[in-house]
Amino acid sequence: MLLHILNRAPDTPACRQALSALGPADRLLLIEDGVIGALPAQRAAFPGVEGRLYALHEDLEARGLLGRHADGIQVVDVEGFVALTEACERTVSWY
Amino acid sequence: MRYAILLLAAPYSHQASHSALRFARALLARGHTLEGVFFYHEGVHNAARLAAPPQDEPHLVDGWAALGEAHGVPLQVCIAAALRRGLLDEREARRHGKQGASVEAPFELTGLGQLVDLGLRCDRLITFGP
Repeated sequence: MLLHILNRAPDTPACRQALSALGPADRLLLIEDGVIGALPAQRAAFPGVEGRLYALHEDLEARGLLGRHADGIQVVDVEGFVALTEACERTVSWY
Repeated sequence: MRYAILLLAAPYSHQASHSALRFARALLARGHTLEGVFFYHEGVHNAARLAAPPQDEPHLVDGWAALGEAHGVPLQVCIAAALRRGLLDEREARRHGKQGASVEAPFELTGLGQLVDLGLRCDRLITFGP
């Protein structure tokens, strides 16, 4: 199980590459501008990633998006980010 | 667990340095060890000794230096990426006939082999890109 870390918004080459590389059990964490993908309007951008999609609390907050994420997205703070890296054997960053 | 961080972006150009520093502090707070931070590509600018950001902004260079000194974390800067961007410690400045050094301890200029070593030794290597 890999943790993929994405710092780009949906519809960018980095986002498309992350999705094409995502294994069936892998998890995807949205950080920095990647948290745009957590908005309800972007729900269609991450097909098949239900239950495995995370967004970083601090980066949502910095962009005024806290509480505006779509249902099914798990919001984690930086400690939760560390916990995800503990649980996943390897991480891949897409930028 | 043993962690290492690879930072590829310059401070103030991208969020990566902020993100990496925040992550480094959090992993140390959870009881892990940080075996090294490797600064590569534009990330070498995080070691710029003369950085002087406005006082109401986070000082990322000082932030990394403080973290390195407080927790004994090696701050390793790719020497090839640094030299071509004007980031030289005293030894390299002398060697290249330059006045003044732009990199000082706790940052150290090292080779790419150190990154390979971190990747082999550590349980986790986390990359923060631009």
